[in-house]
Amino acid sequence: MSDLLDQSPGIEPLREQRLGPLFWICVGWLTLNVLGAIFANVLPLVNPLYQNYIVINAGPSLHHLFGTDDLGRDILSRVVFGSRVSLAVGSGAMLIGFGIGMPLGMLAAYRRGRLDSILTAVMYVLLAFPAIIAVIAVISFWTPRTLVKIIVVIGLASVPLVYRVIRSATLAVATKDYVTAAKVQGSTDRRILFRELLPNIAPIAVSFLLIGVATVVTLEGALAFLGLSVNPPTPSWGNMINESRTVMAQNPWLVIFPSLALCLFLLCLNFIGDRLRSYFDVTEVKL
Amino acid sequence: MSERLLEVTDLRTTFRTVTGAVPAVGGVSFDLHGNETLGIVGESGSGKTVLARTIMGLQPRTNVEVTGSVLLNGHQVVGASERTMRTMWATEVAMVFQDPMTSLNPVMRIGRQIDETLRVRLGMDRHAARARAIELLTMVGIPSAQSRYRAYPTELSGGMRQRVVIATALACSPKLIIADEPTTGLDVTIQAQILNLLDSLKEQLSMSVILITHDLGVVATRATRIIVMYAGQIVEMGDTRDVFFHHRMPYTRALLDSSPKVTNAPHTRLAVIPGRPPNLSTPQPGCAFAPRCAYATERCHVEAPTLVDASAPGHRFACWNPLPETSDREAR
Repeated sequence: MSDLLDQSPGIEPLREQRLGPLFWICVGWLTLNVLGAIFANVLPLVNPLYQNYIVINAGPSLHHLFGTDDLGRDILSRVVFGSRVSLAVGSGAMLIGFGIGMPLGMLAAYRRGRLDSILTAVMYVLLAFPAIIAVIAVISFWTPRTLVKIIVVIGLASVPLVYRVIRSATLAVATKDYVTAAKVQGSTDRRILFRELLPNIAPIAVSFLLIGVATVVTLEGALAFLGLSVNPPTPSWGNMINESRTVMAQNPWLVIFPSLALCLFLLCLNFIGDRLRSYFDVTEVKL
Repeated sequence: MSERLLEVTDLRTTFRTVTGAVPAVGGVSFDLHGNETLGIVGESGSGKTVLARTIMGLQPRTNVEVTGSVLLNGHQVVGASERTMRTMWATEVAMVFQDPMTSLNPVMRIGRQIDETLRVRLGMDRHAARARAIELLTMVGIPSAQSRYRAYPTELSGGMRQRVVIATALACSPKLIIADEPTTGLDVTIQAQILNLLDSLKEQLSMSVILITHDLGVVATRATRIIVMYAGQIVEMGDTRDVFFHHRMPYTRALLDSSPKVTNAPHTRLAVIPGRPPNLSTPQPGCAFAPRCAYATERCHVEAPTLVDASAPGHRFACWNPLPETSDREAR
């Protein structure tokens, strides 16, 4: 009898859900990126703007680990300093996007009624307009370009996206019995929003935040590639790729390293976001 | 019997949908006294839950029309704003929801969920609320309440969770508890425990209970009175004994027949009620049960019966061809 039980399929004990080593590798890489961006000044790097005309378009060497560009600037140093722009845009724009989109989305989904109808209609109209074109248009005319302006414009452009995701996530939670129960037990609206709804949509919000950062960083890259991000000579991954176009044949390293940095950064963000979402999803099923 | 705690008069809850108006509750009147258990019985879709939520004042304001009157301890619920309802919720009336899996916030410790009510509604401080919450958890029979206070809902079994839900409902000692199918998600042995718990708490705290269920067995020994609902209307109501043993409405008989009996021989086929409950969005004249009723006559399809008094006080039924009055009908 016990043999039978041992052999029967499907009674294998549920394994504890793990985040996996790849997740932690990604977290490690992102941490490294963030630390690099913060401490770029302190790190033993060459000045990213220093032009050394003796070594132009050099390949990787011990002296210049990633090589140099067509003006003799150290690529490693420029990649590290360039991450500052990407990270600033990524975090700043998402701060604005979530700062505005999240409270509006939650409020609309919880309150419903006219507020919800109006807000949702406005947001969907905004969504229908291609964000990148709007961003390009505003940034081209809002001169002189500064990092802060770019962050503000991209941040505002992300509001409808954040609103839509947060609203639908909140809607799913707001109809649950425990929210009604809390209301009937005398919880105030503010308590329901912060204690019942917010913690329950947090997993979705966090994973969307990470993917949002990735999207925004890509957008900044695209703008920089079009020459619409921070002004040269300040390095950013996007404008490094842009500058490398003319010398790609002689010096492929100039395009490879910033692209690689951008690529790995986005990959890690997406992977972490995705992993977190499925991790929290399973917990929900277990309930 | 003490004073009337709840007076429901000609209550109608109508949903406006794209396919037309759906009268989920179509003219229901009943009273409830203090320290009484009222059982509301009916099939799925008979309007029990809508009735409960309407009494709670929980219907959404859009696309729902509520008319009639619900007097809860003298306060009008129909048309009351949410702000007004907030003054009644928890202290006058509380609700035990159907599914303990979804009626507790999964990311909040159970203690906090009880605390919060105490602190918001009764203005207790943190320590007093905590002590009271543990007391409540103990009262609903949760062992080692002190440590369970810090548990998350996932760490408890279904029965334990429903006890927590009941403790939450009891927090502000409401005069009326509405339990909407409180045992549907639980297995039979736990069902009995939860129902007995509700029963003993009712006596202990001298409150009233409305017990909503589709299972006559659940209300049989616990309710003082029973209301049988069909298609949003009361078809029979009366003292539990009268409804079980002297029922006049064929629907009540059919409901009783369709529950399994211990005395049945093995492999006895369970009696079923043929057909389906009517679609409320296309109203038919006559008695709503007529298409499924074995006793239906021409008149049943044309003219809707109204509630008339039976011989026992408080016993009423709505039927043109009632079952004959007997001294003691066997509850089959």
